[in-house]
Formats: sequence, structure tokens, C-alpha cells
Amino acid sequence: MTSGDVFCQRCGNLIMSGKTQTEVLRVINENRLDELRDQLMICPQCRREMFSLSLIGSDLKKVSKVPYVPKRRSEDIRPLKMDSRTGAEVFKSECFICNSGCDATVWVKDGEVVKVEGDPSSPVTKGVLCAKGLASKQILYHPKRIKHPMERIGERGEGKWRSISWDEALDLITNRFKEIENIYGQDSIVLAQGTSRGWTACFSRFTNAWGKQRTGPGVAQCALPRISASLLVTGSPVMECPDYEYTNCMLVWGTNPPATWPVKAMSMMQARARGARLIVIDPILSETASKADIWLKLRPGTDAALGLGMLNVIISEGLFDKGFVDKWCLGFEELTRRAKEYPLERAEEITWVPKEVIAKAARLYATTKPASITQALALDQNGDTISTGLCTAMLAAITGNIDTPGGNIIPPHLPVLGGLIDSDHVLKERCLSKERHEKRLGGKEYPLLAGEACVTFPTAHNFTLWKAILTGEPYPVRAMYCHGNNMAIAYPNSRMVTEALRSLDFFVVADLFMTPTVEIADIVLPAASWMERSIATENIQVSYNNVHLQQKVVELDGCWTDYKILIELAKRLGFGEFMFRNEEEYRDHILKPSGMTWQEFKEKGIISVPLTFYKYEPNGFNTQSGKVELSIQKLMDLASDPLPTYREPSESPVSTPEVAKEYPLILTTGAREPVFRHSELRNVPLLREIWPNPMVKLNPQTAGDLGINEGDLVMVETPRGSMTAKAWIRPDIDPRVVQVPTHWWGDSNANLITDNEKCAPLTGSAQLRCQLCRISRGRF
Amino acid sequence: MPDKILMVDIDQCIGCYTCEIACKQENEMGTGPRWCRVLRVGPREIQGELLLDIFPTLCIHCDNPTCVYFCPVGAIARREDGIVLIDKEQCTGCGVCVYGCPYGAILMDEEENIAGKCSLCASRIDYGLEPSCVQHCIGGALQFITEEEFVRISQGTHMTGTSKVRYVSSKWKLAL
Repeated sequence: MTSGDVFCQRCGNLIMSGKTQTEVLRVINENRLDELRDQLMICPQCRREMFSLSLIGSDLKKVSKVPYVPKRRSEDIRPLKMDSRTGAEVFKSECFICNSGCDATVWVKDGEVVKVEGDPSSPVTKGVLCAKGLASKQILYHPKRIKHPMERIGERGEGKWRSISWDEALDLITNRFKEIENIYGQDSIVLAQGTSRGWTACFSRFTNAWGKQRTGPGVAQCALPRISASLLVTGSPVMECPDYEYTNCMLVWGTNPPATWPVKAMSMMQARARGARLIVIDPILSETASKADIWLKLRPGTDAALGLGMLNVIISEGLFDKGFVDKWCLGFEELTRRAKEYPLERAEEITWVPKEVIAKAARLYATTKPASITQALALDQNGDTISTGLCTAMLAAITGNIDTPGGNIIPPHLPVLGGLIDSDHVLKERCLSKERHEKRLGGKEYPLLAGEACVTFPTAHNFTLWKAILTGEPYPVRAMYCHGNNMAIAYPNSRMVTEALRSLDFFVVADLFMTPTVEIADIVLPAASWMERSIATENIQVSYNNVHLQQKVVELDGCWTDYKILIELAKRLGFGEFMFRNEEEYRDHILKPSGMTWQEFKEKGIISVPLTFYKYEPNGFNTQSGKVELSIQKLMDLASDPLPTYREPSESPVSTPEVAKEYPLILTTGAREPVFRHSELRNVPLLREIWPNPMVKLNPQTAGDLGINEGDLVMVETPRGSMTAKAWIRPDIDPRVVQVPTHWWGDSNANLITDNEKCAPLTGSAQLRCQLCRISRGRF
Repeated sequence: MPDKILMVDIDQCIGCYTCEIACKQENEMGTGPRWCRVLRVGPREIQGELLLDIFPTLCIHCDNPTCVYFCPVGAIARREDGIVLIDKEQCTGCGVCVYGCPYGAILMDEEENIAGKCSLCASRIDYGLEPSCVQHCIGGALQFITEEEFVRISQGTHMTGTSKVRYVSSKWKLAL
């Protein structure tokens, strides 16, 4: 600081140095701009904020909605052309920064990507692309991208590497894997797959062709439980596909689409603008909740009790669709009896949501036709994930909102292989033998995780896997091949995961950047980002009736596409004949049902099938009985409760009062920042500028009791360890709850303090949304 | 074709920050000045109700821009269609306009020592496209529409000013 520096009178930040001030004053004096002097003392940022505050005023009451012009798909823009304004070539492709798979256009000039934009000709996105997608170029040309295969030369994790050729790398991998297989047996190698990204089906095929088990893309904590539940009730993943176009009421359960599903957020905001009602279930006032008609602020992890309470209101008040229930549902009597056990008083006691609010939400959902449910991760990370999923599916079923326009629809069958629901079927015949399937780690304890209902990603149970690595029980696991998965950060109980990974004999990782997982590896393979890949994809979670085109527009020296890596690895490992000769053959293979070749599809750009409704009418539902099952036979076969029930989280003030004495606050993790995706993108300066710090959300009362001020570093502790983040004090969160950010690297990683041992039954999901913690001001 | 205006509908903003990155990409900017900036107000408690307001702020391209008046070298001008532009070539980097703007819309680029602000993607508009932030806006908070459409949508009640960029919100009905 030098004398004469000017600080903002409002925020205290430095506005300008003394030298600049002299210069500005000189110009002001010379030009007689006297009226400017007053404004010199407040920084532009503060002036902007003051202007904004003056806009929204202080005595706000929501009145009527301003009419809204919905975005229209513009037909005049063709997918491939020269742009005369910038002189760039424009290519149609598909963004895979997250797994929404939004149509995008990539602008290339002199062989270099200059810009990524939305695709106005897309029937799904209508030209939008989110902040993450628009920053794709920053990922593509990031200076820290891994550009060549590397072999570890120092100690594990020391960070000393030697660049090697692809040939050398593949030979090393093949030899080591074969060695380990010979010594420890077939099951000693486990594959790890990262989040679903277009190459998921190819990886499934690789897994099956090699005959290995895998730890899937974290599915026990994401998608598998809720999709399984949906399949158990209706035989289709209906709960993933709310139809926003015709809906009049949206029940949004445990998700914040503006941060996680931008395209869904777009459709929701359009529906809301034309008058659809919005009910949001979230422990904090998220962006979605701030737009809601009814916001249910529940105790984290009590979703099933809330669902049962709502079912009870709808059944006891006779608000269900009697025609649909009589004709299409089995087990309504049993469900009625079960729901009766959850009267409003009990639901309020468990969930902390006032009973009149629960009743209001249930009535609004049941009486507004048609109504849809949007659900996501929070359902997969509590004490009884399957029950929670059953509750939402049954809410949709008894109100007659299954496969109706504006309800939750059965996604049509798309003419492409390897979608979300059948990716494991790409190569059925080489799946694990029955005997080895039964040996799947955690398969006995968690049958649904092993693919009993949802066959998409039969997966090894995380905790059981780490234990097998660390102790050799039930059998030794000594090597892993990890593809696009940052396990050391993204999986619960990072300490245990890291320890297990470090103790492996051989560990190969394919990724874009030096993540904490890559740092532990023996061999690193540089993978390609989405602009370097070509494939036809479908994603029923976002685009129900379209197959989208992803085109390679550039190639970076040294980086291989995921398909190429897997195909070449398969050739070396000796099961090449079960994979494909090259990428082209794979692309043609998955397009077979459409009767098109890759070249033809590339010309066409998109395959759309008509969206139809009431598809169950002619042949019934895809369940054993052909009907919607409200009391589920399959769960009975697994010696489990066939009806939804509420199970207190394994760690809560109710179930473990003795732990709660020392760790009095409820810890909920998993809320996403709008500009990041899982553990990625913190290294993109443009995005990090917007959200520079991990923030832990606290109630003013909680903060006040502990002497914590806004922006202070806070230490969050559980019996597993501690993490730090900055305090974000806000009145919307319950004083008994603390919400921590997820997936930041280093000391701010929430998984340093999460538990992975006490899991939900049937699916083995870690209870990430509802554990116990204590907080204190960080000691630094 | 009639000139269009940019409507910012606060009710529709979902705080996804897309407009910020769209702006940075279109104008080839790195970290530093953020011409389009999303502000979050809250969550806060008002009259027992919890509220969270989020909206994008950018240059509103005033009818009588003070920055034009204050610029000592005449580098800032208002086009006929209402877009206020800074001429990079003429700007001397004195920084007076930064303090002349009552809304804090003009920001200094310290590296190049010139003042910069939202140009409403003038080059895109001249080419018949929407500004980049408008094309990519997910919630539909930013809309590039004609004066007529604007009057129909805002019903003349909840809006600010007559400039090129106008904010609307259903929340203002009581306040006004």
C-alpha cells in the first residue's frame, strides 16, 4: 500500500493507486468534470450492486408472472457451414462436459477451435449451452493437459514421471496385468469407470469382453437406486423422464437443475413461465427453490418419510386416480396400509416439514393434472435409497401420471445401442459367468447393486472393494484399470480410497489432467476431450427421443480417444476379437438398429423418433405382472420389504444419540456449484473466477454460537476426519444442518469426512446426505 | 427491421452464470473485467419470507450516457440504434469514464490500459444474430425483442427506463 491509495467507501477494496488518482483528477480538472468527484469514492463493482439493489427494492411480494416468449428452434441455421462474419468453419457436435449431451457448434479457424456455441437448430437445447459447455475450449487447450503416456519412475505419488510412447505404455500394461492375473487369479483385476460420457457403452463392452468386474461410475450413489426403484415399480425408467412440455405441476425432489441439468432447468423455466406450478424439496433455498410455489425444507435424509406422508395424504383424502389404480396397479391395499403408518404428525416429526406444508404439497401435486416429478441424487444417498425411489415412483403411479403427456413418460426405444438403460447388453454373452458373478464384491449383501433390477452397471461395492485391496479378503485385488475416474476425490471416505489405491501392485489411469488419482498411478494414459471424439449418443435423462451426433473437430498430438485406447488395449490383452477392429467399426455397430452407417448418420446429424404416450395400453407394463407393482414381488424374492418404508439414517440425532452428543450437527454434502461438474473444472480460470472458494453453508444462529463470521475458514469434523471451507452464512438453512461443498481437491474435499461403511440396504449407497458433524472456526 | 432492445427478466434468471462465460468467449476475454456479471442477492429474510434474487447486470446503454459526456477524448459514442460503444483505438485509458458511469458498467482492462464494457455484441446484431448472452441464456431471463413485444410483455407496468437494456420483474407491481 502506498500513500494516496483510494479505497472504496462501501466494500473497502482498493479502487486505484495514488498515481492513478492524480491522473484522473488531472483529467477531471482540465475538462471541468466537477460532478464526477462524488463518484470517485465507490468502486464500480459496488455501484453495480447498489444499482441492482435499488432495482429489486426491499418490500417484495410476488405478484403475477411477466409473460414470457419461449425460445424457438430456428430452422434457418444449417448444421455445417462457413460463418461469413468470422470466417470460421462451423461444425455440429455434442458437448460432453457433463453427461447431458447438449447439441453444440464448434467454430474452427485455421485448424484451431476458436469458439464453442449452442446449436440453434437443436430440438432439445434450441441454441443454449451452459457456462461449463461454453468454457470447453479452455479444457481442450488447457496448458496442463496430459499430452503423452507416462510411467512412474519415483516412489508412488512422488510425482516423478518418464514420458513413454503409446506402444511402450500398452506393452507395459499388458505384461503387468498378465503377470498379476497369473499370480492372483482372474478376479484380482478390477476396472473403474468414470461418469457416463458417451464412451460408457464401449467401456461396458470392454469390461464384459475382458471378463472383469468393475466399480461403475459411482452408481450406488448416483442413478442406480432411483432407476432400479423406477424399474421395479413400472418396468421403465419413467422417473428420469418428466415431460415438461405439457406439465402443469413440477415436483422437483432433491435436485437443483440450474446447477446440474441446465437443459432441464431451461424446460422447467419455460413450463413455469406458462403457469406450471413448482414444488421443490430441498434443505436449502436453492436457485430452483427460490422460484417455487411450495418449498419443503426437509431434514436431510428423510425423503422416504416425506414421500410416505404425501402418499398417505393422497390415499386417505381419495385424491388418487381411481381408474388407473384399479386397472393398472397391483398391491394398492398393502400400500394403503403402509402409508397409514405415516400420518402427517409422524411425517412432520421425522422430516421437520410442517404438516400443513406436506399436505399442501401433496394436494397440489395430486390435484393438478398433469403433474411430473423430477428427481436426482439426493434420493440415492440416504438411509434407504430404494424406498425413497419407490415413494416417488408410486406417487406418480397412483396419481395416474405415468406415460401421460405432462407426466413422467416411458422413454421411447431409440435406434442406437448402448444407451443408459442397456449399455451392459452391448456384449451380453461375455458377461461374468454365473459363478464369478456371484463372487462380485458386495454382490451378496447388495443384490440390486450387482444388477438384479437395473442391469446397466453391475458394480462392485466400494467399501468391500477397498477392503479387499487392503486386507485380501474375500480374495485379493491387486491391480486396477481406471478410465476417467477421479476416485481419490470423488468416492466417499477419501482417506481409505487413497490408502487402498496406493497399496495396489499396479494401477493404470486414463485421464485429461493430473488429478489426485492420476498422481498415484503407475502408468498414465492421455485421453481426449469431447471435441476430439466422434460417436452417436443418446441420453434419456435429457433428450428422450433423439440420437445425437458428436463429431471430432480437432486432434491433439499424443491424446487418444477413449474408444481407441480401449480397442487397442483389448487387442494387446488378447480379446481383440470381442471388441472392434477400429473406432469406425464400433460407430457402425452401435448404429445398427437404425439401419444407418456412421457416414450416413453424420450427414443426417440427428435421429428423432416421435414421442408417444400411453405406450402401456396394448401390452401392459414391462414388469413381471405386466402391471404397476405397488407391492413388489422382486423385493419379496430378495427377502426384503416389498413396500417403501422409512429407515432412519445410520448416523443421525435419532439413531445414534451418543454420536450426536459429540457431533451435534447434521452434515449434508453433494450440493453442486453451477460452474463446476463433480471434481472437474476448478482448473479453468474463467469458471474459477466466478466461484473461487469452497463454501460451507451455515445458519446465522449456528455461526453466532460458534463465533464464526462470513468468510471465515471453518473446520468441519466427523469421526472420519476433518475438512475446511469458507463460511457462507445464510438464513435459509436449518440451524441444525450444515451443508458442505463436494468434490473440491485438497483440504476442502468433503469426502475426507464422509463415511462409506454404513450403507443403504440393497444398493450399498453411502449415506452422503445425512451424517453427523461438528464445526469450529479453523485454527490457522 | 425495427431496432430491438434487451429485456432482462429477473423472474426467469436461474443463476447459472452462462451469460458471463458467453460474454467472455464472444469478446475473447480472459479473467479480469466481467462486463456481464451475475449478482446474487440473498438468500435473505424479508418480512418473514426467505428470498433469493439473482440477475445479470450489464451496461444498460442509457439514452443519455454520462460516459459519452465525460470521456475527454470523445472515444465513446452512442449509435443510432442506441448501442453505446467505446472506440478502442481512441481510448487513452485515463479511467474517467469508469467513474462517470453511475451503474459501474465500465471496467478498466489493466493489462491493455483501455476501458471496456458490454457492446451488446454489436457485431453479432449487425449480422442479424442475437447477442451471445441472449442466445445461450438458459432460464430465458435475457431476451432480445422489439419495442412492441416489450410493451406487450411488460404491460407497461413493471420496467425500468427507456434505455436499450431494460429490467422487468413481476415483483415491482406493488413497489411502483
